[in-house]
Amino acid sequence: MHEHLEFNSDAEAFSEKRLFRNRLIFAMFFVLALFSVLIGRMAYLQWFDFERYHLMAEDNRISVETIPPTRGKIYDRNHILLADNQPVFTLKFTREKIEDMDLVQKKIAELLPDFTEERRDKFFEKLKKTSRSKTILLPYSLTEKEAAQFAVQSYDLPGVVLTARLKRTYPFGATGVHAIGYVGRINMKELTNLNESDYRGTDVIGKLGIERYYEDKLHGKPGIQQVETNARGRVLRKLETTPSIPGEDIQLTLDIKLQQYAESLFKNHKRGSIVAIDPKNGEVLAYVSVPTFDPNLFVDGIDQASYRALLKNPNKPFINRGINGKYPPGSTIKPFVALGAIERNIISPNKKIYDPGYFEYMGHRYRDWKRTGHGLMDMEDAITQSCDTYFYELSLDMGIDTIHDSMAPFGFGSLTGIDIPGESKGILPSQKWKRETKDLPWYRGETIISSIGQGYNLATPVQLAKATAILANGGKIIQPHLLRSAELEPPKQIEIKDIKNWERVIKAMRNVMHGARGTARRHGVGLPFKMAGKTGTAQVFSLNESDYEAENIDKSLHDHSLFIGFAPLNDPKIAVAVIVENGGSGSRTAAPMGVDVIKKYLEHTP
Amino acid sequence: MKITIPQSDNVYRKNKGLLDILHIDGWLLLGILMLLAGSTLLVYSASGGDINVTYRHLIRIGFALTLLLVFAQIPPNILYLFTPWLFILGILMLIAVILFGDIGKGAQRWLNLGPIRFQPSELMKLVLPMMVAWLFAHSTLPPSYRRLLVGAGLIALTAGLIVVQPDLGTSLLIAMSGLFVLFFAGLPWKIIFGAIATTLVSLPIVWHFMHAYQKQRVLTFLNPESDPLGSGYHIIQSKIAIGSGGIEGKGFMGSTQAHLDFLPESTTDFIFSVLSEEFGLIGVIILLSMYVFVIARGLYIASQAQDNFTRLIASSLMMTLFVYVFVNIGMVSGLLPVVGLPLPLMSYGGSALVTLMISFGILMSIHTHKKMLSN
Repeated sequence: MHEHLEFNSDAEAFSEKRLFRNRLIFAMFFVLALFSVLIGRMAYLQWFDFERYHLMAEDNRISVETIPPTRGKIYDRNHILLADNQPVFTLKFTREKIEDMDLVQKKIAELLPDFTEERRDKFFEKLKKTSRSKTILLPYSLTEKEAAQFAVQSYDLPGVVLTARLKRTYPFGATGVHAIGYVGRINMKELTNLNESDYRGTDVIGKLGIERYYEDKLHGKPGIQQVETNARGRVLRKLETTPSIPGEDIQLTLDIKLQQYAESLFKNHKRGSIVAIDPKNGEVLAYVSVPTFDPNLFVDGIDQASYRALLKNPNKPFINRGINGKYPPGSTIKPFVALGAIERNIISPNKKIYDPGYFEYMGHRYRDWKRTGHGLMDMEDAITQSCDTYFYELSLDMGIDTIHDSMAPFGFGSLTGIDIPGESKGILPSQKWKRETKDLPWYRGETIISSIGQGYNLATPVQLAKATAILANGGKIIQPHLLRSAELEPPKQIEIKDIKNWERVIKAMRNVMHGARGTARRHGVGLPFKMAGKTGTAQVFSLNESDYEAENIDKSLHDHSLFIGFAPLNDPKIAVAVIVENGGSGSRTAAPMGVDVIKKYLEHTP
Repeated sequence: MKITIPQSDNVYRKNKGLLDILHIDGWLLLGILMLLAGSTLLVYSASGGDINVTYRHLIRIGFALTLLLVFAQIPPNILYLFTPWLFILGILMLIAVILFGDIGKGAQRWLNLGPIRFQPSELMKLVLPMMVAWLFAHSTLPPSYRRLLVGAGLIALTAGLIVVQPDLGTSLLIAMSGLFVLFFAGLPWKIIFGAIATTLVSLPIVWHFMHAYQKQRVLTFLNPESDPLGSGYHIIQSKIAIGSGGIEGKGFMGSTQAHLDFLPESTTDFIFSVLSEEFGLIGVIILLSMYVFVIARGLYIASQAQDNFTRLIASSLMMTLFVYVFVNIGMVSGLLPVVGLPLPLMSYGGSALVTLMISFGILMSIHTHKKMLSN
């Protein structure tokens, strides 16, 4: 074998060896050169770009989880819990760790049959839109059984983790919903207005009432938990923690028992409002707007059907009547008009006016509610018996602007400053007001009907309660509020010319309840305390809500029933305003409700 | 087998030790064992301290070392005799793979021979350079153009049979091992440069005639980071592992990228990234130095070989080793496109290690049998 070797000459063998050696040397240099390239590459990655890759590796390894703050609880004035946080099971989704979105969606449908398809579709749509690395919670509370079933199958569902969260609950349900409010999912508009870093990990925000007004106090500040996670998103260990700062617990002035009682008084009437205020300091004791609705429905997002039902309810539960219900105040403004007149010496309190049952002006007859007339009336009689004619005549002596100036200090026509968002101002008409809003001159005939709280006059129940409280406390302009610890400016005082004038008006209101001819005398009988009150029956001239059903139209045309009052007379502790929409006469419907609320409150308040 | 004792040799001392009896080259073995020791540590770390994986790795190393020892005993002239038959066998098996191959593992085409699953392309890594070397053993170097053409034909045939599997990466690497034989046999520089120039010139022309989707595929292949969630994910995670190791590394068992499963294939194709993360630039330089040591020793053995057949085999096998190392490290560091390729002597896995150790066995045989051969 190897014959070729034997025929090789030495010279050939030498040149062969030299050729091969040259190639070997070249190869070795080639190896060294390319390895140098690799070392250069490594130096670039590990030396020059080290910082960058170091950060990326840390970023891979360390996930930052937000610890959402615990929302502050809400208590009533007697430390009864009104808004609580209850631990519930839910699922946490991280999109980048989900391998098969369709599978996850299918599994969730199987595991959580009570989580409706509509809500599921909505949630997954949202999940697909959130940034890949973010974690979002399922807006659903799993039962213990569902949680256990999920735990068994969780291995097949990377990116979905069972977790506990706190869910806002309202133990009293619908009671006081318009005051307490509720939390709900943060919507796009809210998202643009809030500080995003404070709301990381939180998906609800105060939507209404106290929950919204004191959102900043209640929310708190989120904390941060650094954890080491593997590529599949499983947390392996906890690193650094910055704890969250829980939201402040707040105490309300509301008396939830009184609230419940006041709401229960509406059993025969579907729509209305009661606001009760402590006249000494403006603390709101009860804030009723009926119909109510259950705020617990909104916390995880309400389903379409329930929402539509509430929206279509002809009694409009979403209207917050206490602050947004604008009603003609009717005769309830008579004490304020009378006080303004006698304080300004426009009329002597003893001057008597004859009421034939109507007042004639410019050929037009303005009727008194009592067709037969009240006869001779002085100021006190006129309030006690609610004589319209007395005020018709008085109003022409006063003029609309004086009526306006008499009532404005009591808060009519301006915001009361109550700590519920979205309050309405109502209307306290004046010449200036009419010129500005309607670009029309004032007619004196309008003054006449304004004096009995009709015409342009519109007031909210909170405004009426506030005015009543100011009358009760001797002119201290209190600010109605629900937060017990509200920091308020010291109340201003209405200028009092002669305290006797105030006493006269209050005496007249006492006689409404306790006098022989008082409009609400039936309801003042047998009370263990003396009180002042004024009834009102506001005529409803037009139907504002065009979609009231036909069978309700008659009832809708009934007058609004109003009542204001305070007690005890010598040391007022509560002032109330009651409005029952289409409740008929004030003395028949609203007055007993007002009296009952006062009685109930004074029974258990020393 | 009869062992001939070298009479006078400036490499081997007169006092004959155990290594001489076993036909082992001490220096080469030292380099190999150092790399394998490092490999064991890295496999242990990359597997997250999995003692079972490490144990299996050690068994494979033991088996492969045994094969090294066995092949070191086979004199090169025996290899020479068997080479054409092995080559024919290899070609037949490649054809068999195309006809009856097991498609189960994607691009990796296996041949099911009863209980053994066999990858014929693995065999061809050794046999193709041996065959081309066999071809030139008959002539003086540089060989005639006719022989070069025949050699190129054999390379093209083998590469062609693998490329249709389809396995472009392996095909190119095996072709490379044959081309190295041509290079060491004295393939004229003008042809080498001519071929390189022709390739460079033809690339834009080929590019011009490709379909848009084909172009897209090539672009993604060349720049995986343009697809960070698909094929780019691996390479990005690998670069993070390497870069975050810094100069000194995170220490043994300190690879967060591997332990937290961000780095894929951490015990196999991407084991270099684990090394870089745990031992930093210093570790990388030490590893590359060990490879240089082994390759240099191998090329030295080639330089000492007595005939064309053995010197061509020895040199081309070492250059093939180099190419594998370079391509793997280039790949995991984002310098080269991703081709599934283990790091020689480092990665966990059986067949590549076996092939490699056999080639080292052949090298040792060449070195320790050269006197006998020349006799």
